[in-house]
Amino acid sequence: MEEWRRSIWRRILDEFRRIEAEMSRMEDEFFRLMREAEERSGCIMPLYNVYESGDEVRLTADLPGSSKDEIGLIAGEDYFRIEAPCRSPLRGGEGRRYVLHVRLPAKIDPRTVRARYKEGVLEVVAKKKIVGYKIRID
Amino acid sequence: MSQVEGISIVEVEPIQGGDLIFIEGFPDVGLVGAIAASYIVDRLEMREVGYIDAELLPPLISVRNEQIKELIRIYHRDKVVAIISDVPIPPYIIKPLSQSIVDWIKRKDGKLLISISGIPEPNRLDIEKPEIYVLGSRPEITEMLIKLNGANRFKDGFIAGIKGMLLREAVRAGLDAAIILAQAHYNYPDPGAAGQVVSYLSRLLGIEIDVKPLLESAEELRLKLRDLMMRTDQVMRGIQKSKELELPPVYL
Repeated sequence: MEEWRRSIWRRILDEFRRIEAEMSRMEDEFFRLMREAEERSGCIMPLYNVYESGDEVRLTADLPGSSKDEIGLIAGEDYFRIEAPCRSPLRGGEGRRYVLHVRLPAKIDPRTVRARYKEGVLEVVAKKKIVGYKIRID
Repeated sequence: MSQVEGISIVEVEPIQGGDLIFIEGFPDVGLVGAIAASYIVDRLEMREVGYIDAELLPPLISVRNEQIKELIRIYHRDKVVAIISDVPIPPYIIKPLSQSIVDWIKRKDGKLLISISGIPEPNRLDIEKPEIYVLGSRPEITEMLIKLNGANRFKDGFIAGIKGMLLREAVRAGLDAAIILAQAHYNYPDPGAAGQVVSYLSRLLGIEIDVKPLLESAEELRLKLRDLMMRTDQVMRGIQKSKELELPPVYL
């Protein structure tokens, strides 16, 4: 009985492993490509989030160890580009930079962009660009 | 050794003594638990006494300072036992792992199991001092935690992942357990939130733990933990962690 249970368990485990291996292969490929790109260019891609709500697009990025005056932020109609020095002694020492180029989920009006840097997190908020005709509801 | 198949909990040095309090800091929201538990292990100079192995953990070892380390390690000092992991817990071992941890603590006649975690807070940027939320496996535990001051009740919501499963297994097994949560960034490492938990825990355990060094090295720590955070984020997507932003249905 014990033997029989054990062998079923083995088979389930093997199946799990196969699925898991497939999934983590794809995930790993992503991490590897990112890491290689970072190592080659000496840039670090920060963790970030993009939120789209109502008439706003909001981006936050984790840029620990930088400072407000050194962050370069460029806003285009459909992208944000952030560059900043990273002063941490980690990851290959001085001279490393954060570089983040994010394509936005909606077009924005670059003149409405506001940004702040607080406790190592950069927040950028922009109004969506709204082009259209006002329609009267009957 | 634990009784659940595929999981083994090994005490290399047997953990002795009664009234043990177990603290679990597996990586999830903002790595709050991982940062807080590792910091406590470090500050209290706890001894590494064992490890947890699961058949389905990735085939990895950690190497630190030329020392070979298990992925999930158990530390002990006096009445405190801490469990920390170098990798996020893969979704399909969450249930058996929670079961075997609760089994093991029950057999050791543990007094309390504490899970540390973060509550995803979209407005974290505007919060100077993250609030602490607590929930016990039974009302008496919750009351005890609330009495300590500086904690709010976790009234309604979902708790996803290993923290939720540990609490559920504890309730089923009649083991006293609690979860302590701090408002935190969802997928940025949040040492500030971890600091709040550590100072709360230091009151709970009656042990002085200075959180200043943690807060001072916060920015460096965040960069160091970026890799673990990314991996953890991947795993959290597989366990409906975003559910924690929702409320359970109530019909009346």
